[in-house]
Amino acid sequence: MRIQESKDRTGRALSRAAVCAALLVASGTQALAGGSDGAAPKTSWKLFAKEVYTQPGEVLENCLLLIQDGEIKAIAPGRSDPNEEGDPGKDGDDGVLSVACLTAGMIDPSAGLNTGFASVEQSEEVQPHRRAQDSLDLFDYRWDRQARSGVTTTIVAPLDRNVIGGLAVALKTAGSDVIEERIVRADVCMRGAIGKSPSDGNRPWGRPTDFYQRRPTTRMGVEWEWRKAFFDAGMAAGDGKPGSEGPDELGEVLAGKIPLCIQAWATQDIRTAIFLKEEMQAEGFGTIRLIVDAAAEAWKEPDMLVRSGTAVILPPFTAGGRTEESAFMPWNTPKTLVDLGVPVALSSHGAKSAGARLANQAAFAMNGGLTLDETLAAVTTAPAEMFGIGDQVGKIRTGGPADLVLWNGTPFEATSRIVGVLVDGNLVLDPR
Amino acid sequence: MLVKHFRGRLLGMACAGLALMTLQSASVAAVGESFAITAERVHVGDGTVLKGATVVVNSGKIVAVLEAGAQLPDGLTPIEHDGDLSAGLIALQDYSGAEDENGDSTRALLPDADLVHAFQPMHSDYERLVSEGITSVVLAPATGSVAGGLTAVVKTHGGRVLKRRAHLELSLAMDALKHDRYPTSYSGALGEIEARLEAGQGAFGDVQAGNLPVVIRANGKHEVQRAVAFAKKHELKGAIVGASRSGELADSLKDAGLAVIYRPFTPGMETRSLRSVAMLADAGVLFGFGLEAPYRHPASLRLAAAACMREGLDPTAAWRSLTADAARIAGVDASTGLVAAGKDADLVLWSATPLDLGSSVVAVYVDGVRAYGEDQ
Repeated sequence: MRIQESKDRTGRALSRAAVCAALLVASGTQALAGGSDGAAPKTSWKLFAKEVYTQPGEVLENCLLLIQDGEIKAIAPGRSDPNEEGDPGKDGDDGVLSVACLTAGMIDPSAGLNTGFASVEQSEEVQPHRRAQDSLDLFDYRWDRQARSGVTTTIVAPLDRNVIGGLAVALKTAGSDVIEERIVRADVCMRGAIGKSPSDGNRPWGRPTDFYQRRPTTRMGVEWEWRKAFFDAGMAAGDGKPGSEGPDELGEVLAGKIPLCIQAWATQDIRTAIFLKEEMQAEGFGTIRLIVDAAAEAWKEPDMLVRSGTAVILPPFTAGGRTEESAFMPWNTPKTLVDLGVPVALSSHGAKSAGARLANQAAFAMNGGLTLDETLAAVTTAPAEMFGIGDQVGKIRTGGPADLVLWNGTPFEATSRIVGVLVDGNLVLDPR
Repeated sequence: MLVKHFRGRLLGMACAGLALMTLQSASVAAVGESFAITAERVHVGDGTVLKGATVVVNSGKIVAVLEAGAQLPDGLTPIEHDGDLSAGLIALQDYSGAEDENGDSTRALLPDADLVHAFQPMHSDYERLVSEGITSVVLAPATGSVAGGLTAVVKTHGGRVLKRRAHLELSLAMDALKHDRYPTSYSGALGEIEARLEAGQGAFGDVQAGNLPVVIRANGKHEVQRAVAFAKKHELKGAIVGASRSGELADSLKDAGLAVIYRPFTPGMETRSLRSVAMLADAGVLFGFGLEAPYRHPASLRLAAAACMREGLDPTAAWRSLTADAARIAGVDASTGLVAAGKDADLVLWSATPLDLGSSVVAVYVDGVRAYGEDQ
């Protein structure tokens, strides 16, 4: 099975930009009204914000954004609010949306929007050739919930019940019902798990009655499966012969073309993931781009993360600090790791409660010491770069997609609220 | 009268025996009498209603449909019906007479299981079907398999097998994925079907060669989306089964050239699903209804169409979905689905307009043999 080429959205965006620019010149700002000709959703807007957080470390003041056909056409700072000037446009729909602050749409790299057990092929424990893309449910209400809470891009992976579950896909949280049109990047990472979940339900005893009578039944078994799969892939890549099922996909992982995202909560499991990366490197099989998801105890041995260049995704904070698989995560975990230079992303990890949503996680991370810029990075640019989609999403830039979060105050402050959200120019939460 | 009735039954049983012995589709000639039924209204099935028309039947076939006042040929038994006449109804997806023996949960794929072997024409289930005006059914495998087997189109009286290997029934629905049986996932099911198509053995080979349509079970809207995308990718022809909200995906169904078989609608069916049928009809997608007897009452077929009319489905489209369009989906439209010369004499006499649920079945003919109702 061949790895799909990542969708060349940038290229398309550029050519579209050229056409749109010509259109703008021809028809002036009238073109901005757009989307009023029929059933097509409106994706062209004028947006004014007192502060625009274009990317971590950069704030533009009194900024007017021109959005056309879902794309940011122009960013003009130093303007005055057209609404305060008494020029709200012909009617509400064609007017300017005014808000206090704007950030790029957030990226939840582990929102868990899969179809549960139907998303993971459990008949075998190592399934690198499976694609989460084949089991998506875009009609699930959770997509809308994510979009309305400011998450505009998410990564969907198979449920963590296999050692290696398969290839994940990065998608926008709103827009078209057609899967291909929602994809930011196919095969965005290889997904698997270390810890209890891949061996859950497997049995070492009794007569074999079904395929759960198999390895792994323990953490050691899980580790063995990981190493075997990658050794096979590494050997196959070496002599050019295909080995066990799916060496092509794992070969891409070894070659560093596809990042490897492993769920590992406790420090012993995070170590296992890092040892795997280092062992493959020592064997000369290649350098894995490792991302540890749900790395609650990453704070315990941060030197290993720094040494191996491993990125982490943190699970939601809990009141007492105790997360899943008995792992403990204090509130200063993001700060500790960011200060050491570890790439950190926050996530909701599939949690459904309002407190677990990404914007709240960001607020909690600030409570634990993270600065506003570091927090913004942890929900936008950091996850985007980890997964190699930083050139597509995560920043507010001319020519970029209109994935925007509209705030009524300083972003991530406990007293601020998300009042509006745009995904590719689609207004999924209306601030008016 | 009684003797005649009994003889009809005997004849039917003889045909059934023959059909079972030879397992030949459409080769056993049904022998019926020659007669002519004049009804107040004849619903041809294409939207036209002929007032006072006469349907002439000979040897199990409709030989002519004569307009009111036309001269009847000699030597026919004339029957006057004070009500409506239509073609018999066709139920897509049915389990009558199979008594839960039409599936095997230990295997996810049994593509070459042939449902004709589950046909028990003498089973009392069929009497109930006939009593509601249903003259043909598509026997389908039980749900719960990724590839359940080959469907068969059978008559509900007389034991005739109209068509064997009508479709290969597949499922991409959640209920075909078992946690302790490969495949456990959508991805696994897609991959396995894909591999079988590529290998091209048996029923899958016929599908791949374009000689055998499929019906793909899909319930949730995302399952329908997945099934349609898969069918399009592999250029599969046939229908999606289940899919109560498939009207919301009408454009992609139309684009893929797939039909839809709804599961029987029950009283209390949500309005969104009923409206979805009208959306499908407006988009020009072919559709019909499954029955799933004996688990559902045979009357639910007519109820489903009527309920959809309440939410905007055109009456002609509703009626076609039970007759002519169902025949097309079942692949037996050459011989059934319309009241027209050359078609099988599968006729229902109603007390009033059939889509008016106040009407009832007065008599039913299958292959020209009276299968239900008193002689007139």
